[in-house]
Amino acid sequence: MALRAAVLRHVRVPVQTLTRTGTKSRPWGPNCGSIRFLSSHDDHLTKEEVIDRVLSVVKSFPKIDPSKVTPNVHFQNDLGLDSLDNVEIVMALEEEFKLEIPDKEADKIDSCNLAIEYIYNHPMAG
Amino acid sequence: MGASGGPRLSGMQKQVLSLYRGFLRAARSKSAEDRLKIESIVSAEFRRNSKQVDRKNFLYVEYLLRLGKKQLNQLKSPDTIGLSSLDISVSETKSPKP
Repeated sequence: MALRAAVLRHVRVPVQTLTRTGTKSRPWGPNCGSIRFLSSHDDHLTKEEVIDRVLSVVKSFPKIDPSKVTPNVHFQNDLGLDSLDNVEIVMALEEEFKLEIPDKEADKIDSCNLAIEYIYNHPMAG
Repeated sequence: MGASGGPRLSGMQKQVLSLYRGFLRAARSKSAEDRLKIESIVSAEFRRNSKQVDRKNFLYVEYLLRLGKKQLNQLKSPDTIGLSSLDISVSETKSPKP
């Protein structure tokens, strides 16, 4: 009996340390808001999902009054942002959807509508 | 609203925005803490210049663009962990670890 307990304890210890170090070394930084695992390619984002997530990114922008944000707002005309803010918003959307938007495209995205269209039509948006 | 009624950007403005984007991208590759610091310095610097610099002063804007590109290249190096701005002493010395 004592022998069995000793063996069990012996076996369990290395397994425990393994899992513990495993979880500890997960590379998620503290600033990635939502943890999403590598998503499969099959389920492309639905339009509703894109709209929801775009709007929540825009609403969380510090200079924006969240109650003014609708899918139709223009960043600079309706929300009083400047072109530098516009860059910051598009960058935040890039991070949210794991995209890299080239300068030429990014310069054109100046409203929620255009952002939603661009992301919805992007094959890699996740 | 739906009409893209934003101000049309000049070529030079596009270059400035592209540089700003480059800085924000480079900041992403740093640690979370350094990233926040870099972002706030870069953002403050661009905003300060956008208010103070005459937009018709092309020579000076060109100069700032060149300067910014040089700084951006330095920032991209993995050895660089932070920025310090020119006038205000944001620069800090990391205390040496014993």
